[in-house]
Amino acid sequence: MKSTGEQDAKSRRARGPQTVVLFFVANQMFAIAADYVQEIRSTDSLAGAANEIENPELAKVRHTLERGHRTYYVVNAGMHFGLPVTRPALVLILRQFRAALLVDRIDRMAEISGVYPLPLAFAGDERRWYRGLAYLDDSVIPVVEPTGFLTPEEFQRLDRASALAASQREPEAAVQA
Amino acid sequence: MSIAENARENSFVLLHIGDRRVALPAGLVAELAPPVRLHAFPHTSKLITGVIVRRGRIVPVYDAGLVLGSRSSSSSHRFYLIARRQIGQVSELGAIAVNGECELATGEMQPPAMDRPAYVAGTLAVGEDSLDVLNLDGLTGSYSAAAGESLHAEAHQFHGSEASR
Repeated sequence: MKSTGEQDAKSRRARGPQTVVLFFVANQMFAIAADYVQEIRSTDSLAGAANEIENPELAKVRHTLERGHRTYYVVNAGMHFGLPVTRPALVLILRQFRAALLVDRIDRMAEISGVYPLPLAFAGDERRWYRGLAYLDDSVIPVVEPTGFLTPEEFQRLDRASALAASQREPEAAVQA
Repeated sequence: MSIAENARENSFVLLHIGDRRVALPAGLVAELAPPVRLHAFPHTSKLITGVIVRRGRIVPVYDAGLVLGSRSSSSSHRFYLIARRQIGQVSELGAIAVNGECELATGEMQPPAMDRPAYVAGTLAVGEDSLDVLNLDGLTGSYSAAAGESLHAEAHQFHGSEASR
């Protein structure tokens, strides 16, 4: 006989099929719901559009992007997940969140049957990182939670630092003019 | 209590984790699974090595050897013992990589000595041996405590070496 908890865990398993983008960071595959991705660009194509943060507040965020009068913070996915350092080639610009993600490569788009909840045995930062797990082609793939890349507090810190840097740049620009 | 319930309560699965032989109440054991593929992904829960998929469920795998202090190479893992664990109000399955043969034994568990760690629910006499009976719910807490003690010892060593300069 199954306990109520087990039955609950099983009933929470699937939220219906959904399309995901599968991407790699340091040879680890992740999935992100396609709905959350606005644009995928190569890092080369953004070379002129990205601004380097001179004194990074967060080690994983070293660049910003200006898109539609909004500042997007570029998160290095490898550093976020504590993976070995790689040379990211692509940027996933997220929808609804002012964040973009540096990744190594895109594998493909795929349809998953649902997202399994992360087992409760996982009790660390991963509960914020992942929406859950997907089972695809005999592999278990973590499905990332877009809001997990930067907490509201981290956004506030980055916004403050960004505003300060902008205010420091204005007098310099006026002097040069 | 019926005879069947009593027998179940006094039944234990004897298993090898690394070089340690321990017991687990048989009532908690859901399955002894073959060495299926371990799926690993980034996380910060130190006692977890990854997950396996069994019967449509995703089951976390605990590295019990870390707590028991008995390391073994993954190639020597022969089975995954899948057991129920209580986390708050929820019961969840968890797997432990075991090697060697697993046996069923009956006996009466004795309470643990006062100084035994939280992962020891009691002791079981099997032949001339006295085996620790694992308390799965105590594994995580024991690991945190052990890691804390280890860090404390490292810090102590560090400060000692700094002071001796």
